[in-house]
Amino acid sequence: MNNGLRRYGIWVVVALVGALCWGVLALARGETINAGWLLFAALASYAIGYRFYARFIQYRVLETDDSRATPAERLNNGRDFEPMDRRVLFGHHFAAIAGAGPLVGPVLAAQMGFLPGTIWIIVGVILAGAVQDMTTLFFSMRRDGKSLGQMAREEIGLVGGAAALIAVLSIMVILLAVLALVVVLALAESPWGSFSLAMTIPIALFMGVYMRFLRPGRVLEVSVIGVALLILAIFGGGWIAESSAYAGFWTFSANQLVFALIVYGFVASVLPVWLLLAPRDYLSTFMKIGTIILLAVGIAITLPPMHMPKFTEFAFNGQGPVFAGALFPFVFITIACGALSGFHSLVASGTTPKLIQKESQVRVIGYGAMLMESFVAVMAIIAATVLDPGIYFAMNANPVLLGDTAQSAAQAVSGFGFSVDAQTLTNTAQAVGEESIIGRTGGAPTLAVGISQIFSSVLGGTALQAFWYHFAIMFEALFILTTVDAGTRVGRFMIQDLVGNVWRPFARTSWLPGNLVASALIVGAWGYFLYAGVNDPLGGINQLFPLFGIANQLLAAVALTVGTTILIKMGKLRYAWVTGIPLAWDAAVTLTASWQKIFSPDPAIGFFAQRAAAAESIEAGKLSDTLKALKAESIDDAHQILVNTTVDGVLSILFAVMIIIVIADAARVWYGLIWGGKQPDMSEAPWEESHLDAEGKEIEREPVGAR
Amino acid sequence: MREHLRAIWEYLKEISGENAYDRYLTVHAATHPDKRAMTRGEFYRARQDEKYNNPGSRCP
Repeated sequence: MNNGLRRYGIWVVVALVGALCWGVLALARGETINAGWLLFAALASYAIGYRFYARFIQYRVLETDDSRATPAERLNNGRDFEPMDRRVLFGHHFAAIAGAGPLVGPVLAAQMGFLPGTIWIIVGVILAGAVQDMTTLFFSMRRDGKSLGQMAREEIGLVGGAAALIAVLSIMVILLAVLALVVVLALAESPWGSFSLAMTIPIALFMGVYMRFLRPGRVLEVSVIGVALLILAIFGGGWIAESSAYAGFWTFSANQLVFALIVYGFVASVLPVWLLLAPRDYLSTFMKIGTIILLAVGIAITLPPMHMPKFTEFAFNGQGPVFAGALFPFVFITIACGALSGFHSLVASGTTPKLIQKESQVRVIGYGAMLMESFVAVMAIIAATVLDPGIYFAMNANPVLLGDTAQSAAQAVSGFGFSVDAQTLTNTAQAVGEESIIGRTGGAPTLAVGISQIFSSVLGGTALQAFWYHFAIMFEALFILTTVDAGTRVGRFMIQDLVGNVWRPFARTSWLPGNLVASALIVGAWGYFLYAGVNDPLGGINQLFPLFGIANQLLAAVALTVGTTILIKMGKLRYAWVTGIPLAWDAAVTLTASWQKIFSPDPAIGFFAQRAAAAESIEAGKLSDTLKALKAESIDDAHQILVNTTVDGVLSILFAVMIIIVIADAARVWYGLIWGGKQPDMSEAPWEESHLDAEGKEIEREPVGAR
Repeated sequence: MREHLRAIWEYLKEISGENAYDRYLTVHAATHPDKRAMTRGEFYRARQDEKYNNPGSRCP
């Protein structure tokens, strides 16, 4: 008893703290609620999830075996296979999974109030997201680091495998387009932001040359120089924005930025990596980790009050001005990365499993890093909800609803049931050094205003608020661009690989014509969606973000399907619910969202309902009432809507069909294994004894069979 | 305090790959003592090219 108390006493305290915080969040009445409750509710829940559920998965479900050598030990070649210290690998893995997704999604979902998003971020990560990352990591590790696509092909079958591959490529295109869209929306008409982001290119080039020729391998040194230059560039941007001579030169319209990004993406994909991509990678990783730590410290010190209500009416009526659709399924689609992200399964099957020292470390690296990612999402939701809700909606509502002036925006916001006066909007814009903050959708600017308020109350006061705002914008834009660079490259390799099956020379990545054609194809594909998104009469984020979310959740469904199949093959049928329940939930969410996007008669939601309205208007030669209600302005808009909704609608169908194919193909395999008496054929690498201890040191042994 | 800073610095060196070359030298001396080891420049160039020519995927 005494022993049990000592062992579990601390966990009783953690559970009580967590329950108290959740209780306060759920029951508190009043205008505001302190962010501290949310912070501690999250931390206590994570601790319990990690200590009990992840441990259960480790020992009961996966049965990790530390006497079994990992691929890093067996195949150690000092390069891609190499046992890596778990703390270092944790850092690498976290840097690879943490991107702009967990920062943007929660901000958009905040339109329904802070509670729906928060609950899904925390519950979702413990029961679904971290489980997906951990199991995928484990299964890939047992198969010498095979990719998700390979595992799908080997464990499920050719059909499921091919569907998974096509899904990955089309998801990549949508992902890159949506991320680039976020950057464009944040930088349009902002000379400060455009200048400081543009300066990252010469900084990266300098770092690239420095690392390649001047001081090879001195990564820390060059990163410190790079970050210092970056901060100079942000101050420089402030100076540019003030100056009458240069401000005009650095002010770009959204379409000019689209063009610039497309050219940039193409050039970056063709250039050698050491010149641009590699240094940018270092820069954005350091900025990312640094800013996340700063944000955590800032929130912990200030413990700001949250002004957004727990629920807004948009949670129930589905008429939200940021994105349309009801709480189920659209909150789950929108939050995506912070709770359950399919992209992580690509990281967890590939680089990381080849570096793990001991099997048991999949818990800290797979489950632990994902908890940290979720914590970033919680901080994003705090940063978005410390803003006055009036400001939040004036920034995030679909720009077509807000109009162009502070007055029209204030009026529109009061139509949503919140209030803000025009002067406040102008003052807020001034405080962060921008002309206007009206209709700055995409999540990044909102987060930046929130971050600037938190940071400036710790350091620098109002004098530095504009700096902190642009610091945050720069940090988001920087690592989105890095993802665009890297993603374009990955997409290019995938296309070269696919075409290479038909025509050999194309597969050689060093062959210049192949490089150029494949780069142009992939850049053209995301560039098209980016252009369409920026010019979408119905609002690009409103239209494209749900597609992105559906795509990401679809990939998660593939990973969870593969996981469930492998669990059944391992003879763990009675634990198959560990991945099976998240899979069922994820499939329900994704398919419901797809169904609504395809078949909903409500033109605010359904792509084909919008398309029909557009077609009708074109036929009649004047705007129909439906389109007018959606705030389309001219018959040209109707033509644009017709094209966009056709493309978006067809993509929605494609995604839904993919997910059904993968699950149906897997269900065939499950049926055969459970009732058909089929013998499982696993492609696990054979057992081999490990000679490393938990710190990666060689174990000293008595020689076996000594004379 | 100094020890903590030192530990953080060591961690950063480890995580950024700055001391990868030193580790390579150790492994190389143990496994192929007869062959010439790469210079620091060669090592990092080879490593970088390899990393980005087999890109793993990453999360947005």
